[in-house]
Formats: sequence, C-alpha cells, structure tokens
Amino acid sequence: MGSNAMQSKRTALILLLLLLASRPARAQIDLAGEWSPRVYNTHMDIGDYTGIPINEAGRLRAESWHPDQLDLPENLCRPHPIDIGLRVSVSQLRITPELDNETHQPVGLRLHVAWQEPEQVIYMDGRPHPSANAPHKWSGFSTGRWERNTLVYTTTHLKEAYLTRTGVPKSERATVTTRVHRYGNLLTIIFIINDPAYLTAPYIRASSWIFDPNQIIPPFPCEISPDGTIIAAGKVPSFMPGKNDVLADFATEYGIPLEAALGGEETLYPEYIKKMKTMKVAPRTSTEHYRRAQ
Amino acid sequence: MEIRRVVPLAIALSLLLSAHFAAQRAGGPGDTQARVPASARAAAPDDYTGYWVSEVTEKWRFRMLVPDKNDYIQVPLNPEGRRVAALWDPAKDEASGEACRSYGGAALLQVPGRLHITWQDDNTLRLDTDSGTQTRLFHFGGSPPANEKPSWQGYSAAEWGGDEPRDRRDGQGGPVQDKEGRLVVVGAQQKPADYLRVVTTRMRPGYLQKNGVPYSANAVVEDYFDVFSDPYTKNTWLAVTTMVSDPQYLIEPLLMHAHFKKLPDASGWDPTPCRANEPR
Repeated sequence: MGSNAMQSKRTALILLLLLLASRPARAQIDLAGEWSPRVYNTHMDIGDYTGIPINEAGRLRAESWHPDQLDLPENLCRPHPIDIGLRVSVSQLRITPELDNETHQPVGLRLHVAWQEPEQVIYMDGRPHPSANAPHKWSGFSTGRWERNTLVYTTTHLKEAYLTRTGVPKSERATVTTRVHRYGNLLTIIFIINDPAYLTAPYIRASSWIFDPNQIIPPFPCEISPDGTIIAAGKVPSFMPGKNDVLADFATEYGIPLEAALGGEETLYPEYIKKMKTMKVAPRTSTEHYRRAQ
Repeated sequence: MEIRRVVPLAIALSLLLSAHFAAQRAGGPGDTQARVPASARAAAPDDYTGYWVSEVTEKWRFRMLVPDKNDYIQVPLNPEGRRVAALWDPAKDEASGEACRSYGGAALLQVPGRLHITWQDDNTLRLDTDSGTQTRLFHFGGSPPANEKPSWQGYSAAEWGGDEPRDRRDGQGGPVQDKEGRLVVVGAQQKPADYLRVVTTRMRPGYLQKNGVPYSANAVVEDYFDVFSDPYTKNTWLAVTTMVSDPQYLIEPLLMHAHFKKLPDASGWDPTPCRANEPR
C-alpha cells in the first residue's frame, strides 16, 4: 500500500472521528403515557363546513353525504383515520415506545386511541415511506423526527375518509403533517392536512390532552351484525347534486349566510366578517339549535 | 504502525472537542454564567416578531359571528358561570364603558384579526391587535408588582419554555447529585428552549366568548406560543394553545387554540375599537 493511500485513510479516519465528536445530542422529550382528551367536538351538523378551506369538488362530495351511510354494515366498525380519530371524542390517547421485534431497539412511537382502537406507529429510524402503490390504511404510514423538543411526523398512505363526522371528504392523496408539543403535563397536537383533491390550502387544526397516568382505556369491541342493519342490502343512501334538502339547516338555525357555512379558504380570514354583512341570511327558525345534546 | 499512533490521538481529540461543544451547547454544573443570556431577546429560540393574521379554522361560528346568548356548548361552565352568562347584555356593556370585556387577556387571541409583535425592550415582548386595539406586554423575568391594578390584559409573566432538564433517570443519565446532595444536570442532558410560555393574571373580569361567557378577576391564563413552517406552502405559522383556569366559573380549565399566518407587512391592518356586539 502506498504512502498516499495510507495518508488518505488516516485523514478520513480523523475526519470521521471529528464529525462524530461534533454531532449535537438529539433533543427529545418523553411523550409516553396516558393522555386524557380535552377535545371539543365540532362540525356536528350536515352543511357545517365552516373554517375548512374546501374546494368545489370537496363541497360536491360533502353535499352528497347522507347520515344513514353510518348504518351501512360495512361502516359500523369502520374506524376514523388517525387524524380525525384524535380530533373527536372518545379520544383517550396512549403513547408508547415502539420497539423492533427482533432487536428490541426503539424504532419510534405508537399511538393508541380509544374509539375503534386505531393504532399509529411513527417510525423514527430513518426508514423511507413505501411506494405510492403500497396499500393505504386507516392509520397510513408515518415517519417522524424531532425538531428540538417537538415531534414532527408525516403521514401518507391514508385511506379515503372524512375531515368531519358529517361527510366532508378527505382523499387518499391527502398527507398529514403532525406536530406534537408537550408543555409540562399538557400535550397539544397540531394537524396540518394537505389534500390536493378537496382542499385549496393546508387545513390546520389542533387538540389538547392532559397527562393522566391513571387513565384506563377500555377495549372497544365492535362486531358487524350478521342480520344486517336498518339499511336495505345493496342501498347506499346519498343525496344527488342539488337535492340535499337539509343542507341549509345549519346555516338557517345559526343565522349564517349559506355560502359562509359551506366553507372555503376566503371564509377563514377576518376580512370575511365584513363580507358576510352584505350576504343574504335566511330567516332563523330557532335560536335554540345549540341546545341539542352533543 | 502509523495508524496505531493516530487513532488514540484522534479519539482523545474527539473526546476533548465533544466535551468542548457540549459545554458550548448547554453548559455544565457550575457553568451557569455561560448559559445565562444577556436578555430574553438574545435567548429567543424563534422569531415571534412581525405581522400575523388569524386563520379561523377552529370554533368558527363562535368567533366569526356573535353567538347567541347561552350558547356555550364548548365551555365547561359551572352553574354560577351559566347564571352569569345568561345576564349578558351587550347594549349595557357598551353604555357602561365595558365593551372591551370580550377583548381581555383570556380571549383576545380568539378574536379574528391581525397581530403585530415587537420587542418593546430586551425583556418585554409586545403584542398589539387591530381588533379592539389592544396591547399585551409579556414581561420576561418579571412578576406582577404588588400595586398592579387589574386591567383588560392583566399582567403577563413570560419565559422561554421547553428547556427544563430531564427529571428522571432514563438510561442516558438523568440528574445526578453533587457534593451537597443537590440534583444537578450535566450539560448533555439540557434541552434547548423551544416555545414561549406566558402566564397572565390581574385581569379585569371579561368574556371567554363574545356572548358574555364569563371569566373572573381571579382567572389565570397560560398561553403557549410556537412558531413553525408548514411543509406544503412554506408559510410561517404561529400556533397558540391557551388554558384558562377559573374555579369561580369553570368546572375545569378551558383549552383553546388559535393559529396565525405570518404576513410580509402591515397590509390589512384595520384598527377597530372594542365593540360589544361585533365579532371583532
């Protein structure tokens, strides 16, 4: 071996050791444990798309949604995708370290949510996302990293599902970037949903939990009845375009211009308050709508 | 032969450098002088300054409209809170000079509008709103003066949060005892600060929502501010989690969220007075 080659090896070795020495320590915090939700259900009404930067295609899909779809046999045990599962009750949350089966080395974190028991594994070992053709799942595929003390993870490969419990759609092309902040015993999760099919802009929303080491998340058994449901076999209840006769109920009950209730990016900003004053509002039929049990 | 001499030298050098960089990053026991920044401004983990606009994706009908009296479905009010909420009379508030009740420190960030955040001095962060033309001052290292009079925005004590040392042994170290038996944390276990925590007290009684849902003079408000960039638009965002504790009117603390998008300038800044029966 020539002296030049030896010299190169020696330099490379020194550089490698120097690199290792100067690598900053990984900042991270402990998110593991039981977290009790302080989640307030929103978007409980048909025709309530408020605050959502929805586009025309999304609105058309949403308007076709019929609440009887929830009673279809195939939907009885259908879980929410993880991003909405964490948004709506019942959303007790458990976070545990995810260990590699063989080596028992930590590879990420696992989230477990109460309702329908969705599980989400956030891989933090540098593995790539699968190909675009890989199967889509309710919890998608997530990889994460630490940004200082904030866990940031990206979820792809989500099944087509909903943004709300009343039919605002989210496509299978949607990706969700999630930021998990721990402030002492308070946990805030911020969801940034990007859906080129149904949204004109990323949709940001947040929920919080309180650390509750004594929380017990009960099992959530769900079985599809072999006798079917009240929906006749082979029927999929829906509204044809322009035929949703309850679409305006939410706007009417709360005295909101229908156009505003149907969402859109413009409706998110303070300037829209002035614009709403120029819009037509249907006469209210009640001011007690909010008293319905939630 | 050569390499056998170089390796121990390189390892020793790397250990020395590692210790040096760790000390630079976080300091160690007895190195507090090096870690104390000259000012809160100098220690800021992020840039919170500039103009920001509300993006109302949460509680839209409670914020973009004035909700009906008694519509407090998302607020954990106790019976006394409900009784007081039922007394809401915006005309009376206007007439009695109390129109700013819904722009107080507990709920100001819920009011749709624009923020302008600046450093008033090296240890005071100033937040102005165009809605209601209000100002919150975040005092770093301060506590309310004894004679501080209650005001709409109260007194806000601020700190950079997230840098609390780990409080348990976790396989990578953890606090250790020094010679006097005190728990100390070595440099490598320190974390960088990464958010702004503000605790506000001494507020005048106000409203959590425009429709008279009350908070009392004893309410304590904790705000947590984070700045980040979203990967889709590259916009810069300010996300705020607010926790209001008020046993007089709430059965448990109320949690609220607000998001703001950064603006390049003051365009759209629209100062308005406090208005008791308008969303902003």
